[in-house]
Amino acid sequence: MNYGRELLKGSTDSLLLCLINNQPLYGYQIIKELGEKSNGYFQFKEGTLYPALHRLEKTGLIKGKWQKLPSGQERRYYYITEKGQKALNERLAVWRGFAEAVNLIMLPTM
Amino acid sequence: MNYLDSLKNYLRLDFTVKDEFVREIRGHLEDKIRELREDGMSEEEANATAIKFLGSPRILAQQIYEVYSQGSWQETLFAVLPHFLTASLFALRWWSNPLWLGLIVAGVIATVIYGWCHGKPTWLFSWLGYLLIPVVAAGVMLLYLPGDWAWVAALFYVPLAIFILVLVARQILKIDWLFVSLMMIPIPIVLGWVMVLSTSDIFLGSERVHEAASWIAFSFALLALSVATFIRVRQRWLKAGALLVCATMVLAVMALISNNALSLWAWLLLSLLALSHLFVPALLERGMRGKVTPDS
Repeated sequence: MNYGRELLKGSTDSLLLCLINNQPLYGYQIIKELGEKSNGYFQFKEGTLYPALHRLEKTGLIKGKWQKLPSGQERRYYYITEKGQKALNERLAVWRGFAEAVNLIMLPTM
Repeated sequence: MNYLDSLKNYLRLDFTVKDEFVREIRGHLEDKIRELREDGMSEEEANATAIKFLGSPRILAQQIYEVYSQGSWQETLFAVLPHFLTASLFALRWWSNPLWLGLIVAGVIATVIYGWCHGKPTWLFSWLGYLLIPVVAAGVMLLYLPGDWAWVAALFYVPLAIFILVLVARQILKIDWLFVSLMMIPIPIVLGWVMVLSTSDIFLGSERVHEAASWIAFSFALLALSVATFIRVRQRWLKAGALLVCATMVLAVMALISNNALSLWAWLLLSLLALSHLFVPALLERGMRGKVTPDS
């Protein structure tokens, strides 16, 4: 498996939680936001997003809610829950420590 | 949209979750197609590209199934309860006590009605199987009528029993054929025990049942264990495997204690019944869903 894809696979849930924590979003918006905020680095496979969102919802980290758009169409917005915020804070702390340690070894001059 | 029909066809979820998910994907496709149209694509091209980005409906359905297919420990407890109650009935030699029997039958009826009216949760199908046993058992009892009456009764009763079973199974097949298998699995086990125990011309409530009670209890405890595995694993092939292993092991137990009492034909019939509780629902579902075009 491609190294980048492997890294993304391990970080998908954290990335989704982080985005939803900033503001409630629906599936299509999440894909666009991921692409834009990462300068096109994260090209999420659309079919894999929804199982990931539903998995997070089933574990109680996010909650889906149908809302009407100004156009009258309805979309399922995802909100972060209290449990999700707690999980995100824990993941951010782990990520900071991990990234720092990896950089110390892999990029010692930085 | 053909893609959404295919997705709906492949999804084996509770109706509410299924409809919500299809609605969500419909919204996604609408947004994607709109964006592609704004980029200058024709409607046909935009449709095809949006579907391509979303991937195969079969894989999407499988991934979403694995999100919802694992039951909680609470659901597992509810699902194994009727099998443990039946096992206890024999382990504690309570099968001939009308009070316990009555309480359990009333409990099964009440639980099935509650589950059927509250969204048909997975645990319901374990209980539903026990409610259908009297339908099958009554047919077996008819074979013990004197003279030609047995054949006359069987002629009328068997189609009626099959009609009732198919009617219930058709409702559940709309959700998932594995639930029909989960519901049906006690039937070959009960029939098997009736056949094994009745070969010595002694029927339920007799000394023979008393002798075999521990083994009967053991077979229902095995069933409970398999059902717990069925509820907890995520993959469909593991769920089907759990039921198949259970049926095989129970048949082995019956063979062990029957001392060659059953003929080869009787064993063939039992093995066929044990296998058919898996394959018949799968084939029926295939027939029901086959009308919708696959991957498009």
